[in-house]
Amino acid sequence: MRLKDYIRDRLPALVICVAAIALAVLFMTAYRLPGEGIGIIGGILALGALSAGLWDFLRRKRWYGKLLRCAEELDKKYLLAETVGKPELLDGRILYEVLRQGNASMCEQVANYRRESRDFREYIELWVHEIKLPVAGLQLMCHNNGDQRYSEQLRRIDGCIENVLYYARSGSAEKDYIIKPVSLKRTFADAALRSREELQERGISLRTEGLDTEVVTDGKWLTFIFGQLMANSMKYGAEEIFVSAQVLPDRTELRFRDDGCGIAESELPYIFERSFTGSNGRTQAKSTGMGLYIVRKLCRKLGHGISASSEQGKFTEICMTFGRNDLHDVRQQPRLQDRKDP
Amino acid sequence: MKKILLIEDETALREELSVLLKNAGYTPVAVTEWENVPEQMKSSGADLILLDINLPGLNGEALLQELRRESSTPVIMLTSRTGGIDEVLSLSYGADDYITKPYDPTVLLLRISAVLKRTGKTGAVQSYHDAQVSSVKGSISRNGSEQILTKNEMIIFQLLLDRQGEIVTRDDLMTALWDNDEFVNDNALSVNISRLRSKLAELGLEEAIETRKKQGYVLR
Repeated sequence: MRLKDYIRDRLPALVICVAAIALAVLFMTAYRLPGEGIGIIGGILALGALSAGLWDFLRRKRWYGKLLRCAEELDKKYLLAETVGKPELLDGRILYEVLRQGNASMCEQVANYRRESRDFREYIELWVHEIKLPVAGLQLMCHNNGDQRYSEQLRRIDGCIENVLYYARSGSAEKDYIIKPVSLKRTFADAALRSREELQERGISLRTEGLDTEVVTDGKWLTFIFGQLMANSMKYGAEEIFVSAQVLPDRTELRFRDDGCGIAESELPYIFERSFTGSNGRTQAKSTGMGLYIVRKLCRKLGHGISASSEQGKFTEICMTFGRNDLHDVRQQPRLQDRKDP
Repeated sequence: MKKILLIEDETALREELSVLLKNAGYTPVAVTEWENVPEQMKSSGADLILLDINLPGLNGEALLQELRRESSTPVIMLTSRTGGIDEVLSLSYGADDYITKPYDPTVLLLRISAVLKRTGKTGAVQSYHDAQVSSVKGSISRNGSEQILTKNEMIIFQLLLDRQGEIVTRDDLMTALWDNDEFVNDNALSVNISRLRSKLAELGLEEAIETRKKQGYVLR
């Protein structure tokens, strides 16, 4: 708040003030009061008006200055009213009240949406668990009757269901994962076992190196991520998948490399974007553009890094980094007593 | 024959599981009355319990806790919930394994036999006719001579031995190998089997593994 702006804002008041003093001086002159007296009275009036104005200016400047500073420093600007506190200034008090009301109403709205999205997510989870029962039943029936033709379709259904489940999980604010040391070898074998028939039908070989180590993550989520990456390799014509891990002092790097068709350099920056289907996705396979998007969201939630590199016609490599001694992850671990009863 | 108690409220699943277990040479017993389940668990005399987490008016985890106060019967939890919390809780309450639905039936059978082996009285040395099979050393010995098996050969032989006299499909063998991080392909499996055969022949056990065309293998 600058003095110039303040004066411009108060210009009518200033004009009235000056006019009033001038009028007073004029009347006093008309009544032939002594010149000295007129000077003194005029001076007193002018001084009074000036100091009243200055006091008002300083008071406003102080409060608005504080308000602006707070707004600038705050990262969540909607908390402004709570941070700045209730002022003495009348205008300030009104502003403060209005801010608070607006804020409260916004919080209510946000809470409504949050509740709605949580309810929706809970229903999705419930539905996923419901639908898995008949899928499990059918899978057993196929096995018992020795009919393998249906199993393939059932596995596809199960894959689609998993995608929905993890998509719902990746977007929610809830922390429903458990972070603990997980064997990379075991997790990868779990994922490979799930896609074994498909991998073997396509004649894709798996090679691993250095997976005999543990990373701090959620095993289920990592299995899903491996499954997604393998599905991509299968879609884009890989013949070999090579998975290797390297333990570095501060992190573990996991490389998932295939010798499929690769990704064009111009498209590489977008492969983790939602609904992005590159030229590969359009020409070679049906792509929804959701797989890698979900994978990256899950990685972000778990605090893992993920990046991709590729050379067209040669290889695609997805690199994941797992932090070590990451206290941040440990703190995010949900406590057992927070768990809802079924 | 090992007795397996099934605690699963989905009728279709329960029936199919019974068939699966029966075909694999186990004796399945199913709980169908949801009164006094803990009593039924304790009095069943089962060698292993397959326990669903979501049961009518009951919670599998609570049942497990109650069972563990008195008995150490191996328990495998089955669930359609995929949250990590259930798994951690179940394992901390003393479950021996935890499998999410839908499961690959072959994997389920492998886990059952793994848990039975781990908790049962079957020691490190099993016998096959007059030969001794040591899974710890990874070897078969007979009449003083010994053959060392590779990891893959041991996995194959172990599965055939566990289901001696029955047909084991190539698919089952493949699943067992992949479950042990051995991502072999079709050719490699054939090579492994022929190597295993020649090692058995060295011990004088010719034609121990019989090929059933388009079905699989049988260990005689």
